[in-house]
Parts: sequence; structure tokens; C-alpha cells
Amino acid sequence: MDDLQYTISLPASPSHVDGQVVGHIPRGVADYFWEDAAERRQLEVQLLQAFRLWGYTDLIPPTIEYADTLKARANADLQTKIYSFLDHDGKTLALRPDMTISAARLVGTRLHDAPMPQRFCYVGAVFRHAEPQAGQQREYWQAGVELIGANSPEADAEVLALTAKAFQTGGVSNFYLVVGQMHFFFGLLAELQLTPQHQAQLLQAIDRKSEPELDEFLQNAPLASTARRAVERLLELHGANPLRVLEQARTLALNSAMHESLDNLEAIYQVLDAYGVADRIHLDLTEIRDLGYYTGITFQAFTPELGFAIAGGGRYDNLIGTFGAPKPAVGVAVGIDRLLLARRLQQHVDTGADAPPRVLVAANHNPACYQIIQAWRAQGAVVIIDVNGNSQERTGAEFVEAARAQHAKLALSWTGSGFDVYDVRQPSASSKKHIDASDETLLAQLIQSSERRHL
Amino acid sequence: MNNGSNTPCLTVALPKGRMADESLKFLREAGVSIPSSHHDGSKLIVESADGQYAYFLVKPTDVATFVEYGAADVGICGLDKLRENACNVYEPLLLPFNYCRLSLCGPAERSSTPLRYETQPRVVSTYPNLTMEFFRQRGINAEVIKLNGSVELGPLVGLADLIVDIVQSGKTLRDNGLVEIRTILDVQAVFIVNRSSYRLKSHAVQQMLTALKKAIHGRDN
Repeated sequence: MDDLQYTISLPASPSHVDGQVVGHIPRGVADYFWEDAAERRQLEVQLLQAFRLWGYTDLIPPTIEYADTLKARANADLQTKIYSFLDHDGKTLALRPDMTISAARLVGTRLHDAPMPQRFCYVGAVFRHAEPQAGQQREYWQAGVELIGANSPEADAEVLALTAKAFQTGGVSNFYLVVGQMHFFFGLLAELQLTPQHQAQLLQAIDRKSEPELDEFLQNAPLASTARRAVERLLELHGANPLRVLEQARTLALNSAMHESLDNLEAIYQVLDAYGVADRIHLDLTEIRDLGYYTGITFQAFTPELGFAIAGGGRYDNLIGTFGAPKPAVGVAVGIDRLLLARRLQQHVDTGADAPPRVLVAANHNPACYQIIQAWRAQGAVVIIDVNGNSQERTGAEFVEAARAQHAKLALSWTGSGFDVYDVRQPSASSKKHIDASDETLLAQLIQSSERRHL
Repeated sequence: MNNGSNTPCLTVALPKGRMADESLKFLREAGVSIPSSHHDGSKLIVESADGQYAYFLVKPTDVATFVEYGAADVGICGLDKLRENACNVYEPLLLPFNYCRLSLCGPAERSSTPLRYETQPRVVSTYPNLTMEFFRQRGINAEVIKLNGSVELGPLVGLADLIVDIVQSGKTLRDNGLVEIRTILDVQAVFIVNRSSYRLKSHAVQQMLTALKKAIHGRDN
């Protein structure tokens, strides 16, 4: 059998070479090309443009950081998902698991005395080890903003409203922002004075929204009667009517920290109302993601079509201080892959109304023709030169087929004095007509009107 | 929240087999509308009599996956499958049926050496993750072999020293000369909800939760 392997020449396809990786890509990463890649790039640009209109400036952090830098992000779960490797000098490097840490490092170490607030927006790939689950890749794209050096409710509201704007810009009109406030829970914990075991039990019950587990916690933990009542009703503190949730929560608030957190949410809500996105807000005071990292509001964005969050963010006032002078900060990261998925499901795919016309030209080595082509490109047309064509040997039908394969709507072949123009949309190639090069207006009109197609 | 004419407002995933009957029986007890008859096997998705809910049946181990991805808004499955697959869903209620336990079992004639003295026991199970976790927590380097059924056969034919499996009455174990050594997880049915649906279809979900809670108390009394 072994001999056979050497005598039979295997086909080039990598799948025939057992155990080898050449030609494959690792799990959790992907090639994007053609329409898919164009749609992604277009969405990225749309999001960045939306962010820039609110005064955010571009941030392009490095793809790799020292692994120690990334440890500043206090989240044991995330730490286990970071890809790290050794540099030639023995230091441990890591692929960025998000952009926020890099932004915090930049501001903490280098921009700490720059005028505040600083507003940054970004788009780029981030890397996390993940078992393929609920739409998770290992390399995936995020677009987001960080608003650094402001801790007002207005700053929180701005990031929330901008998240809503990003969704609308991206073509997703049906979405909700589920907003929580960590201080409400911190205030509760301070009041309860739990042992670590009891605290872990409570956190797990809340994370699973499990009433049986909450009941078990209530049986085991020694609590005062007012505190008991607050915990009993904790899981009810969410809803699409934020003012009612706040009112309910007020009756259960045990100390000033809890009251202040509710004041803060109310102030944020008022600004969101002014932005016109109040109806997108779903308050949830049991939304306690990423304990130890978020220090104020925390939020996630959902659409009815997808079972998992498309964007997430919140206030992280303690992160920048680990690199230098402490600064309050709030930010959001939108998952590009998930936003695209939601957009496709809501059928708001861009119809390509803005996509430029596309034509294929056989220039036949003629300098005059190249000049005309450059002029058309300057006017915004996509002109593809038929680099593989040999017009002498080719029939009109073959030329039209080549144009079709390159998604062009018109095919023009230089004749010496002008162009033979084929309409690719016609089934027969015989419908060509000749237009003289001197007839510039007609040519320009023809190209601009060639049916616009979605890229 | 009822989104108009005849589109169901919640999609419900139920596990095929015995648990499907138990689940439907319990839902009926709770006054939750269920399909008028589920004999017609040709239709994969069946609407409830009042058109409020769309039901479908999947393999018990897949229920949580359907709910995690939002393909179903809510579902009923065993706690064993939920923990084994570690699906990221809400689990607001435990339901009063499908009581059993996930146990570590071994041959009755096994010597009484404590588990922690075992060097590298070979364990077969249809729950490799929970089994691995159980031994890892005790610092025991077990060799876990995943099977898709007939786990009790393992020790009989020399495939394994121990098994981890669901035990209800213990009869199957006794018949095969096995005994329970340790309970790993107490199991019952659990009602699970997709994290997005919990918010976006809050009204319908809460309505169902209230009905189910009432039925749980009803059975308690």
C-alpha cells in the first residue's frame, strides 16, 4: 500500500493528502470574497462614517500586543480564550481579543494628558478561541467606539444612541438594546454581605434566570427581611417599559448606591428619549455581564431573528487606570458578521442603487482607447479591461460570455474608430451596434445608464 | 405582543420519545395550548390548537441547541443534556417530571477502594463532558470513552471499568450486575428560554412561565 502512494500521483486537491494542512484553513476563520467581501467592506465603511459624524476619530491599534497587557482585562473566561505565542526574545505576545484593551492602553500610557474626552472609532478583526457555537468564529470583525474621559449620563446615552444609529445605518431597523446597571447589583451585594459561595450561587441563579436556583439560594443564605424581598423580586426587574422597571426597582432599593444607579439610568433614559430611541430600550437590572470589568451601564443588542447578541458594551471606568492615570470610559463593539446576518434576515440588503456601472472593454492595444477608458473611470464607472481577449480570434458571443462572467452589463470592443457595443443583457450577441469614438456624449450616456447592479 | 392574525408567537422545541408525552401532558395541565393530535408524523412543525404556539420534536440532546440559536424560543429538556452541552440559555423553571440521576456506576464485585486511588480508570458514557469534569475535579486522570448507547455493556465485555449513565429505577443496573457508586447530577425536566426571546418576546414567555408555575404548584399540592 505504501508503495502505491508513491507511484500514483495524487490530484492537487489538498483533501487527498491525509493529515496535512497545506491548502486548508484553520477552524473558525474564513475567506471572504466576491459579493460577500464587498458587502462586508461596504458595511464597515458605513459604520465608520456614522461614527465619524458624531466626532469619533479613527483608531488603528496593532493586531498583536504583549500578553501581559491583555491581562488588564479582568475576565477569567476571556483570558482562557486569548491566542498567545512566543516572540523571538522570549516574551509572550497575543492576538487582540478586542479593541478596547488597546484603546485603553493607548490612552492610559500615552494620551493621558490629552484634552478629554477622547472619542475613538475602529473596525478590525479580533481573535478568540471558541468552539463553533452560536455564530462564533475564531477570527471575527468588530466595529465600535470608545468614549474616554467622560462619566456623565449623557456620555452613556451617546454610546447607546450611536449603537442604535449604527444598526439603522447597517440596514437593521428591528432591534432592541437591553440595558443594565452594574451598580444596582453592586449595591445589593454590599447590603447582603454574602460568603463567596453564596455570592457565586446568586450570580449563577441570575445568569441562568433560574427561579429554582434563586429559591435554593434564599433557603441557604442568611438574609434580612428587606434584603430577602429584594432578592426574591430581582428576576422581575426587566421589561420594555423602562420607567415602570425603574419604579419597581425603587421600591426594592436598599441603599444609596442602588438608588443612585437608578437615578443614573433615569437620566440616561431621558437623553435617549430625546434622541428618539427610547422605544428601543429594554431595561434589565439582572444584566450583570462581565463582573469585575463593567462598572456602570452594560448593554447588549438583539434582533428578533437572531438568538444571540449582535453588539455589546458598557462603562468600564477601571480599565484605563491599570495602564496609567484612571479615566472613565464607555464603549460598544458591534459584531460585523452578526450584523450582516441580521441584515440579510431582515431583507434590508442594499439593492446596489449606488453601485457604479460596470463595463468590459477590449482595448486591443490602442492608446486612444486607453485614454477614453481613463476618462470614464474618472467619472466613476467601473471599466474592466479585457486582458485575456484576442478579438481577432473571438466571436461576439464569446466576448459577451466573458463580460457576463465578469458581471459587466456592457461589452465594448475597440474597432479603430470607435466601439462595437454589445448589450450583455440581450440573449443574442448579434445585437451589437457601432458607436463612433467622436460621439462622446452618446458613449458617456450609454455607460452611465448601463443597468446598475448590486456589488 | 400577539403579533396579529395567525403567526404563532412562540416556537417550542420538545424532546422526542417518552419526554415528549410527559411534556405535552404537563403543558396541557398548565393550560398551555398544545397540538390537537400529534399522531401525524409527516408534519415536522405542528401548531397548537389555538395557533399561539408552533411545536417541533427533536432529539433530546438537540433541544438546547435549537433554543440557544433562537431556532426555538423555548424548550423542555433534561437537565443532564443541558449541562452536558453547556448551552447558553436561560433556565427559569425546573419541571416536575423526568426525575432521574446521572450516576457513576461500576461492577457490584468491584473492591471498595476509594475512587481517588484509581490511577487511570476507563469510563464509558454518553456524557463525556460531565464525566470528564467529574473526574477532573477529583484530580483523577480518567480515560473517557464516548458511546452513543448500550453503556451498561461496557464493563461486561471489558471495554471499561466504570460507566456514567442515567439511573431511574436502577433495574437495568441490577440486571447487569452493576451498582451506583456516586451521583453526579440530580436530573429533572427543565424549561429553557432563548436569551434574545426572553426579552423580545417577554410577554409571551412570561405568560407561559406563569402558567407553568401554577401547574408546578398544582402538582405539589
